[in-house]
Amino acid sequence: MTSDAFSNRHPAVNFLFFLGAIGFAVLIQHPAYLIAGALGAAAYYLLLSGRKGWKRIGMLVPMFLLLTAVNPLFNTYGERVLFHVFGRPYTLEALLYGGAIAGVFVVMMLWFGCYNAVMTSDKFTSLFGNLIPALSLLLVMVLRMIPGFIRKAGQITLARRAIGLGAGEKNRDKIRHGMGVLSALTDWALEGSVVTGDSMRARGYGSGRRTSFQIYTMKRGDWCLLAVLMFLAAAVIAVSAMGATAAEFTPVLSIAPVSGIYALGFAAYCAYLLIPSVLHLKEELQWRRSRSKI
Amino acid sequence: MAQIEIQNLTFSYPSGRSALSDVNLTIHRGEYVVLWGKSGSGKTTLLRHLKTVLTPYGKRSGEILLDGVPLTELSQREQAGKIGFVMQNPDDQIVTDKVWHELAFGLESLGCDQKTMRARVAEMACYFGIQDWFHRDVANLSGGQKQLLNLASIMAMQPEVLILDEPTSQLDPIAASDFLNTLRKINTELGTTVIITEHRIEDIFPYADRAVMMDGGRVIADDAPRATAEHLWSSGSGMFSAMPTPVRVFYGAGGTGECPLTVREGRNWLSRAFPEPPKHTALPERGNAEPAECALSMKEVWFRYEKDSPDVLRGVTAEVPRGCLYAIVGGNGAGKSTMLKAVCGTCRPYRGKIRVFGRPVEKTPNLFQGCLAMLPQDPKSLFVGKTVLEDLREMTRDEELLAKTAALCQITPLLQSHPYDLSGGEQQRAALAKVLLTQPKLLLLDEPTKGIDCFFKETFAGILAKLKAEGITIVMVSHDVEFCARYADWVSMFFDGQILTTDTPRRFFGANSFYTTAANRMSRHVFQNAVTAEDVIALCRKNREDTP
Amino acid sequence: MKKSHIATLIVFLAVIPATLVLGSRLPGRAYYVTSTLVIVELLIPFFLAFEGRRPQARELVLLAVMCALAVAGRVAIPVPGFKAIFAVIMIAGIAFGPESGFLVGAVSALASNFFYSQGPYTPWQMMAYGAGGMLAGFLFAKNLLPRKPVVMGLFGFLAVAFFVGPLLDTCSVFLVLSKISLKGAMAFYVSGFAVNVNQAIATAAVLLLLGKPLLEKLDRVKTKYGILAVEEGSGHP
Repeated sequence: MTSDAFSNRHPAVNFLFFLGAIGFAVLIQHPAYLIAGALGAAAYYLLLSGRKGWKRIGMLVPMFLLLTAVNPLFNTYGERVLFHVFGRPYTLEALLYGGAIAGVFVVMMLWFGCYNAVMTSDKFTSLFGNLIPALSLLLVMVLRMIPGFIRKAGQITLARRAIGLGAGEKNRDKIRHGMGVLSALTDWALEGSVVTGDSMRARGYGSGRRTSFQIYTMKRGDWCLLAVLMFLAAAVIAVSAMGATAAEFTPVLSIAPVSGIYALGFAAYCAYLLIPSVLHLKEELQWRRSRSKI
Repeated sequence: MAQIEIQNLTFSYPSGRSALSDVNLTIHRGEYVVLWGKSGSGKTTLLRHLKTVLTPYGKRSGEILLDGVPLTELSQREQAGKIGFVMQNPDDQIVTDKVWHELAFGLESLGCDQKTMRARVAEMACYFGIQDWFHRDVANLSGGQKQLLNLASIMAMQPEVLILDEPTSQLDPIAASDFLNTLRKINTELGTTVIITEHRIEDIFPYADRAVMMDGGRVIADDAPRATAEHLWSSGSGMFSAMPTPVRVFYGAGGTGECPLTVREGRNWLSRAFPEPPKHTALPERGNAEPAECALSMKEVWFRYEKDSPDVLRGVTAEVPRGCLYAIVGGNGAGKSTMLKAVCGTCRPYRGKIRVFGRPVEKTPNLFQGCLAMLPQDPKSLFVGKTVLEDLREMTRDEELLAKTAALCQITPLLQSHPYDLSGGEQQRAALAKVLLTQPKLLLLDEPTKGIDCFFKETFAGILAKLKAEGITIVMVSHDVEFCARYADWVSMFFDGQILTTDTPRRFFGANSFYTTAANRMSRHVFQNAVTAEDVIALCRKNREDTP
Repeated sequence: MKKSHIATLIVFLAVIPATLVLGSRLPGRAYYVTSTLVIVELLIPFFLAFEGRRPQARELVLLAVMCALAVAGRVAIPVPGFKAIFAVIMIAGIAFGPESGFLVGAVSALASNFFYSQGPYTPWQMMAYGAGGMLAGFLFAKNLLPRKPVVMGLFGFLAVAFFVGPLLDTCSVFLVLSKISLKGAMAFYVSGFAVNVNQAIATAAVLLLLGKPLLEKLDRVKTKYGILAVEEGSGHP
């Protein structure tokens, strides 16, 4: 999967970063913060996925416009009425609020796009391996079985087709034959499960306390990065508590200014969001430099 | 001192079926013991008794001691660490989704600390050459790699005894011999005791310290391999046919002196037996009937899976005459199975023509009714029902045809069993019956001998002969050169996406020097075209009769 | 009292109310955050109960198989829009009881998203799928309803069309509406109804045709290996 300077950090650092980034994105509707969030997320998303990233971002734009336009239909508060729909007022404030909500949605989707690339299943399970061992083992087993089941489903479909039990083009046919495949797959899977269970017990599963092998270790750099992230997040939370991120849209527009100490909070927020992108670019630059030296 | 001592072990299943009766066996530290017998002889049951968590439910008496302590008195944790158990199916034994995690699984279960786990996992990865695929998903490993991973993850727990239940039956020949070599390395370098059951007796027999033979739940021979072979021959046991080729040739041809176990020893023995070039060096060609019309013809077939992926079939051309058994041999991943898929029309070639009985495949309506059918590599892919009978009824309502087919495949007594309760060979025959109910004239077989022992192979070959007599054309792809040499009418070599050569087994294997049968490798310096043990024996006898 | 029971009580009596109070105090629009937090908190007791049970190898494997089947069902029946996932989860609930049904549902949702994409909807899906499995478990494993194909099919249809589906729609409501109103929410439920009915039909079809055979297959493995014989007295006659 994706491997860059940020995703190579300890999964806990990755996970906490996304928790913060998505958490802030959902809770703060201040336009400046939203725009910063959108830019920060889009930047990292593009760095991770390259050209393909533009396509997804392109798909989010109409989504944004639609959600923005639809929201005032269900929210009629606001002073400046733009026009009436079905006899209900369509207000500027509600439109702006809709824009903010749609913005939140877009930023969230972008961060999740990055999350999916960075937090691979093994990182996720190793992170929770100590906290919820049985459940994360269950998840690991499921993730291990799925590709095998998919392959077997294909084999069964082919095997059945080669003795005349194949489906035609009609959906009805396909569903009927699919049921046969699912049924055969179930038998096969259950039989295999018995062997898996034996293999687990043969290797001492259930013989007493279990530990969880950590392939990832927190290095010094990880701790440092985590400390920086924590500091920046704390700064954002602090100024937010002071009212820096307050933004009311309806009934009256009232948005906190980004100035004085509030500007510091905003700067901390931007710094937080840019950390993965900066790490990524820094590494890329180093590579280029070391290559050009050769 | 004895490491494992089995004393008067008797066991019967809850159903009342007796599986083991009065088994006594002593195994010493560091021994390499091969346990063998027909399927259903109680091998697996006995092995499972050496590991309490795997022991089946039932009535038992007798005792098993590990280092003088009854197994039942050891804690589960001690047992897990001391006795490693590798099973047959490489896939199902794997628990987790990553190679590194699987290596650590046993250590996690034993509650090891991080430091120990790190060291052991690293050690195992290096010893087994796993470093390169350490971070991979297990789903992307080959069967051989998977089984090696299973072995490594058990060795990480540093067991004193390693038990293996037919570990290579699902692997191709190359992966299988790699696996067995690794096993031998563990035995000689680490001194780990190895107890193994195996179909591929040829690869193990020469190196085992002891061969323990079971039949009907009893140990009927327990001696050094050579002595066991001698015992089997002199007692006229039906089990003798499972012996390695050199042994069968030696006794079959009435050899004297020390029995050869390997091809090298067999060669040397033949050289001594025939110091002068013998008079008869070749057998007559099996009378192949006049070239009949084509059941299947492929002309310049090209295929690839994706638009920009490499070609899998690169101009396959073949003609299969009606009513013969046509075998296609070749390495793993060469595209043999893809070729069968192309014949079935599930892979559409982008160039070339495939005709079945003269008609293009893609234009034949109801291709799979009364014309063409394929037995898949894994017979389990065809089972859906609760009983074999239910599965067969999925294909036909014609009870007479059903009964006839069941009888032909020798599964009549098994009709009421659940398909998954059958042994590998029986499953194969049940699946074949299901396939035959489409009444095909051209039958395709994908690796039909995979994972079945030599006795089941004989039964299976008998069924194929009957089908041929009914005029059915059979095309099979296989790794199993011994089987092809013995039963096929034509053999083709598949390599690099094409069929390179096609000939009768005698000419085909007689011309090869590496990719050929054990009988041919041990006799090719004396005889020209002996490709099976029977061939070598026949030539030896013929020459002896002619010399005064 | 078991540790997991204490934790459950704490979650229900303290953590969830606290979240709700805090959520209502948060500035701006905190529906999504609050509701999602509550959803996650609702998952916790189930997960803790599972951890506390220290599941045996065979139980763990069987649950894993059901989850993987639920996800791989998509490939077995390659018809766009036809999802077998709910039906398989419900069958797990019927066979193994409500707790396991919930677990299979929640883990299937999470695992499936690893192959497709995690998103803000993940916790909601875990909850909704789990609830579907749990409901099936309550009604069938405790013999409140007979395990007849027609009954199972009807149950599957109603459960997906009027319970699991709307629960998922609720996530969208909280996610994209600036002002939660009955009218706005109704708009989502109504527009989602067609999709829900479609999936309900698929679920009903799978339960009707495969419910019984699949349950028999599970029963066979259970009796053959004596696993999961009784889960909280939910054993069947």
